Amino acid sequence: MEIEKGKTFKYLREKRDVPQKVKDQLKEFNRIKKAMLDALKESDLTIDQLTQKLNMPKPEVVYNLMSLIKYGFVQSGDVDDMDEYYTYKLKK
Amino acid sequence: MSILQKNISFDALVVGGGIAGGEAALNLATTGFKVLLVEKELSIGGKMIMLSKVFPTLDCAACITTPKVSEISRHPNITIYTSSEVSNIDKIAENNFEATIIRKPRYVVIEDCTACQLCEQACPVSVPDQYQYNLVGRKAAFIPFSIASPKAAAIDIDNCILCGACEKVCPTNCIDFTQETEEIQISVKTVILATGFKLFDPLLMPRYGYGLFKNVITSMQMERELAPTRPFNTVLRPGDGKVPDKIAYVLCTGSRDASIGNPICSQICCMYSIKQSQLLMGALPMADVTIYYLNIRSFGKGFEEFYQQAKGMGVNFVKGKIGKIRETENGNGNLILRYENINEGIVKEAEHDMVILSVGVLPNQDASNFFKKEELKLDSYKFIYQADSLISPARTSIDGVFVAGTASGPMDIPDSILSAGSASSEAISYLIQK
Ligand SMILES: Cc1cc2nc3c(=O)[nH]c(=O)nc-3n(C[C@H](O)[C@H](O)[C@H](O)COP(=O)(O)OP(=O)(O)OC[C@H]3O[C@@H](n4cnc5c(N)ncnc54)[C@H](O)[C@@H]3O)c2cc1C
Ligand code: SF4
Ligand code: SF4
Repeated sequence: MEIEKGKTFKYLREKRDVPQKVKDQLKEFNRIKKAMLDALKESDLTIDQLTQKLNMPKPEVVYNLMSLIKYGFVQSGDVDDMDEYYTYKLKK
Repeated sequence: MSILQKNISFDALVVGGGIAGGEAALNLATTGFKVLLVEKELSIGGKMIMLSKVFPTLDCAACITTPKVSEISRHPNITIYTSSEVSNIDKIAENNFEATIIRKPRYVVIEDCTACQLCEQACPVSVPDQYQYNLVGRKAAFIPFSIASPKAAAIDIDNCILCGACEKVCPTNCIDFTQETEEIQISVKTVILATGFKLFDPLLMPRYGYGLFKNVITSMQMERELAPTRPFNTVLRPGDGKVPDKIAYVLCTGSRDASIGNPICSQICCMYSIKQSQLLMGALPMADVTIYYLNIRSFGKGFEEFYQQAKGMGVNFVKGKIGKIRETENGNGNLILRYENINEGIVKEAEHDMVILSVGVLPNQDASNFFKKEELKLDSYKFIYQADSLISPARTSIDGVFVAGTASGPMDIPDSILSAGSASSEAISYLIQK
């Protein structure tokens, strides 16, 4: 196969299958990302509020929300009066 | 696997690019010797580059490591292979070793990558970031961390869906999926083993609940939470994103405990926990921090003062042996520590909202598999055996092979650097002897 610079992924695609687990993982991340961003589109939310809205375990909300902050989709807002929980909002 | 029988010669092979291996390589290189530094990770710097600040001076770890690492990377006498491991080393004669190095593909041409992160932004995949100890995600096309050296992207091929998005946006066309594993034959005159240490895996102590209770984390995860390049916006509980205010440290997790196979003291956990407690008091001024300890071993220069400083700042020290950690039943994610108060001789319970396990130092036994013809002896704790630990601590059971840093036993950064100095001096003497 001829290898074109900038399109070398095609070369590896011929030689290597993407495992189903990796495809499923991506699907799951996309689902969570969409759900989180949609929820935050409506209003700024705390992790507790997101957990209830998405019906998802809290540790998973933390992990995915922090990842979305890292990827530049979300940002942290204010902390509550007890200095315990932050509010999170979409990055404008 | 594409086998490249490159017959390349160096004066010295240094295995492991942590602070000890890096320092040893630098000493040899500045003396004029040609060095090959082999590192299995995507970046050199070892554990030190991941730390927040260092005890007992509280200097910023990145500020010390970055210039050192860039000096190592830029030195004309040092060749660095990252993502690489040694498969075997044979001693042919004195001053004559042959080694095989396996170099895994990074799928990025390091020299051409500008670390612009466009590939990272384009990549749709998200998987746990091993360099943030899984507290947050990273992409399959990623720069390992902001102070990585080399600072270049890499493709995590095991999690890549081969969509090509990264390649499409890369402005320098440096992503190359045709790269293959290389097998490189080299000859060297001396070898320094600086393969460092492993961290105790707290999953092996289920009674502490690590893995099960998300607000029980390791000291390395707390290092990341306290570092400027931290995974969260501030120190947070991974279980629910709460800012913790009643934090407990469990010292000697996986150290001084024959029942889990590690009877020795890790030498660094007391001090790094005291360091972290001070940093936490700075980051969260309202927080209570309690350190549960068996003995505080503040044996080094400035260590006792550092310990007293923590006490002065209000860190609570309890001489107590933790039996079990469980979560409260009301679902608030807090943790109940059941412990023997050693001074009072009674069993007590205390509630905390976050627990940090001060995990110990374990030997990395990789180096014992490198040598097929000679025997690289390990000591009774499985660290690399020091053939003459009093007079010539860098010597191993094989002449011409030296050990640097924590590959020979637990030690902190200054001692690792001293040990690297000893290893490089011994290696230089060996190189110039005829
Ligand atoms: C939580 C924590 C906090 C700490 N805080 C402090 C502090 O404040 N002050 C202080 O002085 N010390 C501190 N330390 C100790 C410090 O991290 C060590 O002293 C130091 O990292 C030892 O350096 P090293 O090069 O010997 O080992 P490492 O840092 O372990 O480096 C070894 C290197 O070898 C590589 N390697 C391993 N096996 C192979 C192989 N087979 N082939 C190729 N490469 C290989 C590894 O990837 C790594 O890069 C802390 C440690 C921990 C765990
Ligand atoms: S080819 Fe792989 S690394 Fe590149 S963007 Fe797609 S999934 Fe990410
Ligand atoms: S691989 Fe390309 S897109 Fe990614 S950081 Fe390097 S130069 Fe930028």
